[in-house]
Amino acid sequence: MVTGPPRLRVVGDDVYPDWETIYRENVDRVYRLMFAKVGNRPDAEDLTEEVFLAALRPLRMSASVGEVRAYLLTVARTVLAGYWRRTLGRPVTTLDTEQIEDVFEPARPNGVASARAEMILAALPPRYRQVLELRFLRAYTLKEAAAELGVTVGNVKVLQHRALRQAAVVAEGMRP
Amino acid sequence: MRTRQLRRFVADLLRGRRTRRFAADADEEAYVRTAIELRSAAGDRPSEEFVDALRKRLSAAMEDESAEPVRLTTGRRRFVQAAGMVAGVAAGSAAVGAAAGFTLGQQETLADQGDTLQPNDGQWRTVAASAELPDGGVKPFDLGTVLGFVQRTDGKLRAVSGVCTHLGCRLVLDLPHRQLNCPCHRAAFSVGGQVLRHQLPTQLPPLPRLAVREIDGAIQVFAPHA
Repeated sequence: MVTGPPRLRVVGDDVYPDWETIYRENVDRVYRLMFAKVGNRPDAEDLTEEVFLAALRPLRMSASVGEVRAYLLTVARTVLAGYWRRTLGRPVTTLDTEQIEDVFEPARPNGVASARAEMILAALPPRYRQVLELRFLRAYTLKEAAAELGVTVGNVKVLQHRALRQAAVVAEGMRP
Repeated sequence: MRTRQLRRFVADLLRGRRTRRFAADADEEAYVRTAIELRSAAGDRPSEEFVDALRKRLSAAMEDESAEPVRLTTGRRRFVQAAGMVAGVAAGSAAVGAAAGFTLGQQETLADQGDTLQPNDGQWRTVAASAELPDGGVKPFDLGTVLGFVQRTDGKLRAVSGVCTHLGCRLVLDLPHRQLNCPCHRAAFSVGGQVLRHQLPTQLPPLPRLAVREIDGAIQVFAPHA
């Protein structure tokens, strides 16, 4: 009979020594993953917090690194699904938990996402491509974009909306 | 397509604000997804302030022993309670893991197919009356700390974990085919726990067995305390 608090043990692969190490070594990845899926910092921070709050308590164990990552990703998928159910009522973006190694490889520029963005933009008429590049990739304000494009702020809004609608058609056509 | 709500969503996105709720249709979903895709193309990293503040919040939460465990559910896919999910993932990859209240020693490593999970701090808990499980029958059970399926074949009892050994999704009984289906990645196990099929690039371990007995008209599984 074991006495005292439950102890959890694992044998085999590399393990994390404690929950703080799990957190420290995975928080950057989980955040970047969430940012890629929601596109804004406050929501990405909220979701990252939600993942670790949900995951770490039951993770007070020495599961292997691979198992912990798989588990974090499973929790992240559930958290993301809940976020979209609450906000737009549809699974706008999802997480594929079978791509664990891709997600948890060492931090690097978001190469896959930017390559896909370039492909989407490349398929658009020049004016649409230009306004989306200025606003989304180069973070120009409406006023700055208007000056760059030589139009009014109102025109930038209209152009951006039309460009995004067209980009959505292109992006959907590129989905696997 | 509701232009005003979409423009507001994109404006929030571009200003780095929390986005606001609205009920989107399929066209709007594609629009929003594309906006996110373009916006996040450059990537982003968490600020040091956020990382540090969250570490402190987690530290406080981890010290709060009285807090309830988190239950994770989704609309499309059902997951077992978080602790059980960890146990499933751990056991599934031939390493030994355990949910709270349940310890396994090294000698009980699940290296062999069909090994039996045997908590050394558990109790026999009734999962069905004997009469509820005729020969050839299969019955699911959920004891909170562990869930699974018990079956009687040729008079012999067998109980297996009800958690997929891939990522811990809760298995669903397909009684006509006598198999257990994983709703997440289309894996299937026999009711005895053997892998029938999967589409994963890695080997999928069989379901761990649970110690089971029949006594005084009751079928019992040795499981962690509730």
